[in-house]
Amino acid sequence: MPLYICSTHKDALNPSAKEKIASAITDIHCSVTGAPASFVHAIFFEDHPLFSLGDKKLLVRGTIRRGRSDAQKDEIAEKIKSSLVELGGATEPQVDAVIRETPASWVMEGGEIMPEPGEEAEWFAAQEARRRGEQL
Amino acid sequence: MINCSCLVQEGQSPDLKKTEIQAAIQEFTVRSFGLEARIVWTPVAAGNGFTAGKPSTSSVVSITSNEKLSPARRQSLLQEFVALWTTETGSTIDEIVAVITDPAET
Repeated sequence: MPLYICSTHKDALNPSAKEKIASAITDIHCSVTGAPASFVHAIFFEDHPLFSLGDKKLLVRGTIRRGRSDAQKDEIAEKIKSSLVELGGATEPQVDAVIRETPASWVMEGGEIMPEPGEEAEWFAAQEARRRGEQL
Repeated sequence: MINCSCLVQEGQSPDLKKTEIQAAIQEFTVRSFGLEARIVWTPVAAGNGFTAGKPSTSSVVSITSNEKLSPARRQSLLQEFVALWTTETGSTIDEIVAVITDPAET
């Protein structure tokens, strides 16, 4: 977590564009929040009934850990929209990005409950210590 | 019913194992919540999943509880689910993102 679901039409993005957009989303999320890149997941679906596009050509739905400010969430959404225009061959009205939150305590990654925003360093240290212990 | 969304990386779970995994999820939700699961199994095609901007092998499973959970109860259920998933799929704990949400407030 975060998880960014990117909806597109079939074949609207080639593999290179998907990789560039995934990298851009990762960079944007990390630069705005300070979260580590290894937390950021981006998944693309083409014309999938679960992730409808509405009237858009590219739509990103992000679910991030609760605790970011409204300004941070707005900045993430705006920068993602700009990256979709730049990298996805779409115009501004054809793209959208929406951000919702979920409590970190509801999510498990790497076999551990996710840290609250800002507590990532302690979380990685605890994980590393646990893994070292398992190796002994 | 307990809603369970599985975004599964193509190739992580062979089709032959899908039935077994889904059966294990059913057993998990009946045991944990007293209800069967409504599983929505969504494959993520190769080249469409990324972690840290690189091709990903992580799957994402989100389960909606039928009651509000205490932190200890949720952690216990998540640990049990991750153990189930890694056992059934052969993936590592670094390849599963598991979420158990409270029911939506109405």
